[in-house]
Amino acid sequence: MIRRRIGSRAGVLALALVCTVSTTALGQEDDDEFYLDGAGAGTEVSDPFESFNRGIFCVNDCLDMCFLEPLADTWDFFVPDVAQRSLRRAFDNLRFPVVFLNDLLQGKPKAAGVDLTRFLVNTTAGVGGLMDPAQDWFDLEKHNEDFGQTLGYWGVPPGPYLMLPILGPSNLRDGIGSAVDAVTGVIAWFVPFAVTASLAGTDTLNRRSLVGDQISQERAAALDWYAAVRSAYSQYRENLIQDDAAAVDQESPFITPEAP
Amino acid sequence: MLCAVGVPIWAASAAEQSSASAMIQATVDEVLVILKDPTLDVATRRSRLEQLASSHFHFETVSKYVVTRYWKSFSDAEKAEFIEVFKIFLSRTYGDRIERYQDEKVKILGERREGRADVVVMTRIVGGTYDDAEVNYRLREIDGVWRVIDVKIEGISLVMNYRDQFKSFLSRGGAAALLEALRKKNAEPRPPA
Repeated sequence: MIRRRIGSRAGVLALALVCTVSTTALGQEDDDEFYLDGAGAGTEVSDPFESFNRGIFCVNDCLDMCFLEPLADTWDFFVPDVAQRSLRRAFDNLRFPVVFLNDLLQGKPKAAGVDLTRFLVNTTAGVGGLMDPAQDWFDLEKHNEDFGQTLGYWGVPPGPYLMLPILGPSNLRDGIGSAVDAVTGVIAWFVPFAVTASLAGTDTLNRRSLVGDQISQERAAALDWYAAVRSAYSQYRENLIQDDAAAVDQESPFITPEAP
Repeated sequence: MLCAVGVPIWAASAAEQSSASAMIQATVDEVLVILKDPTLDVATRRSRLEQLASSHFHFETVSKYVVTRYWKSFSDAEKAEFIEVFKIFLSRTYGDRIERYQDEKVKILGERREGRADVVVMTRIVGGTYDDAEVNYRLREIDGVWRVIDVKIEGISLVMNYRDQFKSFLSRGGAAALLEALRKKNAEPRPPA
């Protein structure tokens, strides 16, 4: 039932920042009241290359506005939503080797078993993963794992935030993770590069089409668009890593009131 | 004026829910009633949703957490103005988004306790553009009433995101710089729906 689980973690970096500031103007004991999760908690993202990152971000943003979004709109015009969702499922299915490997690397054999079964069922009965009978018939939830998350799971900090050309937001840990994922993706071992590249291109276009105008909407609404993306990316990744840390108790999902 | 009536929403069992979850459920019901009412024009719908948000969010607490340590350097007038312009800013941002309602449903998954006796109510959107998105509400009991103080969508906290966005304005020019940027943003014409 519970697909992803949300966890929260205190940002150590924020604590350091708060401490330096508080020594000057504010009493340190008072800072606590400004953070949701206790003393200095927060996700202060380390971004030592900010001005460089902002430059790359600007180029990426322009590429998205000028090329990817119009292309995705065209795609969206010709390909019905149902087909787009099916295609996204099929591409998710192709990510199986990466997910499976990282289930194992995080010591989650049960999740690995579920993902293996999902792959076998969906590739066959689900017509190459276009459909998701594993979910629909057997209630097998998919997992989202990659090597960046595995590193995070074992305590590797995200390191500096990086805005990669074309590839978008990342950080040192996830950048290394993506490189490892590219190698462990298996498919690339068997098919020519041109096929891998066009698959990746189609996947990107299709996903961008499903996102639709949400990006331009967010862009228009943001006060500092770069900071908004940086914050969202960092929190999203942190949340994926923490997905098993906190969970809804399926037996009693609601807090029982204390006895009077 | 608004009544929570039979909108399709389901949860584990109403009897088990705490008052925090019950409040979220009732509010979601009310929002759906407003969104599904074909007799309301955009302006009326907006103002009703804003009213609802005002009574269930605790904007002063949200503001304090967004501004963080700079809050102390704000004068009382600046604090009051910030709460007001930030409210308008949020209303413009999320008001536009909620207009795209496509018959989504909201499923209440459960809740968990956080620090300071806060309660996080976990929900999931079913159907529509945001299908399967997890939306968690953090509530705090203020003056005996459960008030929302943060919303996390797919793990991305509203408070945290605005904190990061506002930081550069605050460190550069304090309250004045941030207030000016927000006022300017609020004065921009709304993007076509």
